[in-house]
Amino acid sequence: MNVIKGFQTTAKHLMEDAVTIQYPEQVQKFHQRYKGRHHLRRYENGLEKCIGCSLCAAACPADAIWVEAAENTDEERYSPGERFAKTYEINMLRCIFCGYCEDACPTEAIQLGHEHQMSYTDRRDAIYTKDMLIDAPAEGAASTPQQVEPGAYNRSIPDMEDPS
Amino acid sequence: MSDTVTINIDGQNYEVAAGANLVDAAKWHAGNDIPVFCYHPKMDPVGMCRMCLVELGTPGRDRATGELLRNDDGSLQIRYFPKLQTACTTTVSDGMHIKTNTQQVIDARNDVLEFLLSSHPLDCPICDKGGECPLQNLTMRHGPQASRMYFEDKQLLEKHYPLGDLIFLDRERCIQCARCVRFQDEVVGDDVLAFHERGRRLQIITHSDPGFDTYFSGNTTDICPVGALTTADFRFGARPWELNEVPSISPWDAAGENISLSMRLDRDFGGKAMIKRVMPRQNEWVNEIWITDKARFGHHFTRAEDRLQQPQMRTGGTLRNSNWEAAIAAMAATLQGADGDVAAIAGSGMSNEDLWALRQLLEGVGAGRLGAWPPTHDAAPHLEQVGVGAGTNLSELGRGDAILVIACDLEEEVPIWRLRLKQAQDRGAYLVVANARDTRLEDFAVQGARNDKVVEGDAIRYAPGEAVSVMRDLQKAHPQIAERLSRAENLVIVAGAEGLSLAGSEALAAAAANFLIESGHTGSANNGLLSPLPGANGLGLHYLGFTPQTTLNIMQEPPRVLIVAQAELLDDDPAAQQWLSQVETIIYAGLFDDGISQRADFILPLQSFAERDGSFVNGERRVQRFYTAQGPMGQALPAWKLFGGISQNAGIANLKPSAAAVMLELSGSVAAFQGASYRALSRTERQFPDVGGRDLYYGGTAYTNHGGIGLQIPTAADRGADVQRRDMADVAELRAGEGELLIMPITRLYNRQRSFRPSLLVEQRILNPYALIHPDDAAAAGTIDGDLIEIVAGESKVRVRASVSSEIAAGGVALPRHLTDAAVPLSASVGTVSRVTDAVAVR
Amino acid sequence: MAIIGNPKYEQRIERHLAKYETKRSAVMPLLYIAQEEYGWVNSDGIGEVAQILNLDPTQVKSIAGFYTMYSEKPKGKYWLQVCTDLPCALQGADDFHAWLKDELGVDEGGTTDDGLFTVEHVMCLAACDKAPMLQCNFRYVEELDQNKMRQLLAKWRSEANGRG
Repeated sequence: MNVIKGFQTTAKHLMEDAVTIQYPEQVQKFHQRYKGRHHLRRYENGLEKCIGCSLCAAACPADAIWVEAAENTDEERYSPGERFAKTYEINMLRCIFCGYCEDACPTEAIQLGHEHQMSYTDRRDAIYTKDMLIDAPAEGAASTPQQVEPGAYNRSIPDMEDPS
Repeated sequence: MSDTVTINIDGQNYEVAAGANLVDAAKWHAGNDIPVFCYHPKMDPVGMCRMCLVELGTPGRDRATGELLRNDDGSLQIRYFPKLQTACTTTVSDGMHIKTNTQQVIDARNDVLEFLLSSHPLDCPICDKGGECPLQNLTMRHGPQASRMYFEDKQLLEKHYPLGDLIFLDRERCIQCARCVRFQDEVVGDDVLAFHERGRRLQIITHSDPGFDTYFSGNTTDICPVGALTTADFRFGARPWELNEVPSISPWDAAGENISLSMRLDRDFGGKAMIKRVMPRQNEWVNEIWITDKARFGHHFTRAEDRLQQPQMRTGGTLRNSNWEAAIAAMAATLQGADGDVAAIAGSGMSNEDLWALRQLLEGVGAGRLGAWPPTHDAAPHLEQVGVGAGTNLSELGRGDAILVIACDLEEEVPIWRLRLKQAQDRGAYLVVANARDTRLEDFAVQGARNDKVVEGDAIRYAPGEAVSVMRDLQKAHPQIAERLSRAENLVIVAGAEGLSLAGSEALAAAAANFLIESGHTGSANNGLLSPLPGANGLGLHYLGFTPQTTLNIMQEPPRVLIVAQAELLDDDPAAQQWLSQVETIIYAGLFDDGISQRADFILPLQSFAERDGSFVNGERRVQRFYTAQGPMGQALPAWKLFGGISQNAGIANLKPSAAAVMLELSGSVAAFQGASYRALSRTERQFPDVGGRDLYYGGTAYTNHGGIGLQIPTAADRGADVQRRDMADVAELRAGEGELLIMPITRLYNRQRSFRPSLLVEQRILNPYALIHPDDAAAAGTIDGDLIEIVAGESKVRVRASVSSEIAAGGVALPRHLTDAAVPLSASVGTVSRVTDAVAVR
Repeated sequence: MAIIGNPKYEQRIERHLAKYETKRSAVMPLLYIAQEEYGWVNSDGIGEVAQILNLDPTQVKSIAGFYTMYSEKPKGKYWLQVCTDLPCALQGADDFHAWLKDELGVDEGGTTDDGLFTVEHVMCLAACDKAPMLQCNFRYVEELDQNKMRQLLAKWRSEANGRG
């Protein structure tokens, strides 16, 4: 009896479109909110959004993020305000792609993208450094460090709209 | 009147000390955290921030009869103030009632926070204080959820204003609590910070020259309740929650400040844990919650590139890298083959464990000459007899007490003592400073009034070299001062060695001891002798049998084999080159190479205080332990392990497995260390005021003491021994002959000692080489202020700038140690001064 | 010139010092002298007052900053302070203040190009009944209107030119 029941189920789905896709030839469509590998974003002028506050590292449940901060100067500016991330590393073997870092970030500097194809032949290769994580500057914008007008970027956190 | 009063907090009665501050009493007895920003338990209340508002009532009295009013049921009638009162400006009184949890109080706290935040920047993610910030914490606990203020009204102010070389001010973050201003004014006594403007434009400024550059400036960043003050050293170094705290002891001076090393891994240090910052650790008997800037900013040497990192051995005339096994075996053979003609000189940075292991090794090879370095101060035998009594706490000195400071400059030698003694004078103690020159503490002593309060003190200026006779003949020459000192309830004498030979420093301590014994100020807390012995473990050397006289003996009759442990002989002693040349084999163990590698047969890297466990004895005879914080530099070993290893190799004793085991043996072998096991040294107790933990808003970011408050070695007088005064009819004093001057080496806190040089931030504040000389003497030598002069005394020949001033008595020249590359005399000696005509750049 | 050793002020300084029990109490009258000498409370003046009273210059600067009667910026020969508090405003003082600035072509707190006039508004000067009013170098000029003011300005100009 059970055998017939089983075949019935099979027969029912026989005529439907196949769900299985042929990875890697075919790549699944990702939802907008899919959480893949991290990106460090830049402002339009090329300055880094990351201010090295370590809140992502504090929020990380897997202890996968390592941040070391240093001080900006107007001659050598990486990000707006006084502080920037001198070292920024994510250990992708530890990361569980929960996106808490994204939530914790006060400047929307870290965002989880859609890339998911990450493989390593060495444990150490799983540590993604700042160079690997950060986006290229937008078309026409300079990379960091930049020499900027004194006092032009003295706020770390972008101005917020009046919530009232 | 009784010593306690009963107050009622939120319906419950508590018995608290009379005269206590309400905020303190509520916290200590009731565990009730009345929030504060401007109030600090170490400073006078000002009631500026209004955060501590409470409902306050006192028992009503009938105006006519003065009788206490009672309700119908017989209970006392409590009359509440119609408006909220600031708890911080209130002293407890019997029957006082306060309410801290009513809606009115909750609203008030909410409103004060909303007001403070109305112009506070949203900097928390990048702020060094974020995570240990009273404003952040109190906002979470008492603050409003949202602000009704206009965002565009926020003030945009300077965010990077240097108040000095070491401290930056962020004007936006400042909430105008004046804690830093009051700290400089009340605690340090250097009122170079003040408010400027008023209302919303109120700002902290300094308009002094030099600006904010006291030796205690870092403490203001601890007590700042926001991130307005940050240190240049730690700026953006780490977030507070990432730091791992390791209790330690300052390696610099006799105060033995309790510190906490904030450790974190760092890519710049090869991914290993390094000291990110140094913070105070509470020990109310030693340093309260303050530390000097030298302790705070001078930690860089622990990971300096030029640290010795590899054992080296001389083979075939050249020094070659070696390994520990070979070096230890070779040393064991050398020592055993020396027929007991072995001596050791140990520096005051060596821990007790190290000294014990070194002593065991020397005794094992049949040698007994143990020298202490530097051989400049010899007060230790007297400190053992009549040092300040057990339980001494300098912050208990006050009205009716007296302090005599002679032949030292505490501001430069032991800054924490100077801070605490100055405060003792503020509380009413009589402070006398005697020296051959002007010192910072003397300025305080003769100030007359401070902060509109009368302070009492005197200064004695004596001719260079005469400290001993001044102390001995105090009664005769200064009868009024001597009388006041003798009659004081408690008396502490601080006797240094400035302008004295080694024998002179011993004689001065003896004369001071005589005075104390005669006036009966021995054997009890807050009475007795102190001496600013150089280094962190000057007294440890003494208790373990290392003496400066032996050092002099070693210098005169050099042994065949000399072990030099953490002593930079060539940097300190101009004659070292000469007498070391008579030593056959030199075994040098240390942190830095001061050039001795030219001569030494073994160069052995030692670990610094941060890399190992150990203990020091501070100037008040408190044995205090420090803990391992950082990994070793290269192959460096702790000294106890090195000397224990040699002992084991030579078959003298087995190497102990840990510093704790060495201390256990030591505590069973040397009477002074009886009971000083690591377990006993780590004992802590609750101290007033509560700091650390949840209490950041109250005492600042000083750490709670989890590492131990230490154990004080009792003096002979404490144990009830009959201490006798010594007859000192004859005192050989240094006298300069015709055409000569007394060259007095003095200590400057910031100097070019090898261990301090790597702290580049402070290096710029080290003075250029100079010598202080009286105008008459300068005229005789044909020099004027700013001239390049050459000072020759014994083997020492240095070139410095002349600083001509009558701050120094005629006949003496004050010559700072460790500012010049060439060594100045070890201790005071007779020499000559001449003007340099062939101008060659100094240093 | 300086105030220390200046025969012009010697007696006045002595008198002020004698007036108070503690020396530091004389800081305010001495700051007036400094202001008189230099035209404003400058760094030299602060240093000299500090030296006379044996205070730290920071403390003197703090006092000078707190009180509005001391100017820490250079100002014109005639320092015009218009009261614009409520009772005066009701009498048209704020209109008068605005007009005066227009007339002289300066912003609030600004000084005319010829260095003669500085205009600023102040809190209550206790002459509400005679509003609009102002004080010129601490002397009251009351019941003003545009005509009267124009005449006064002309008078001060000629005074200044006559002497200078």
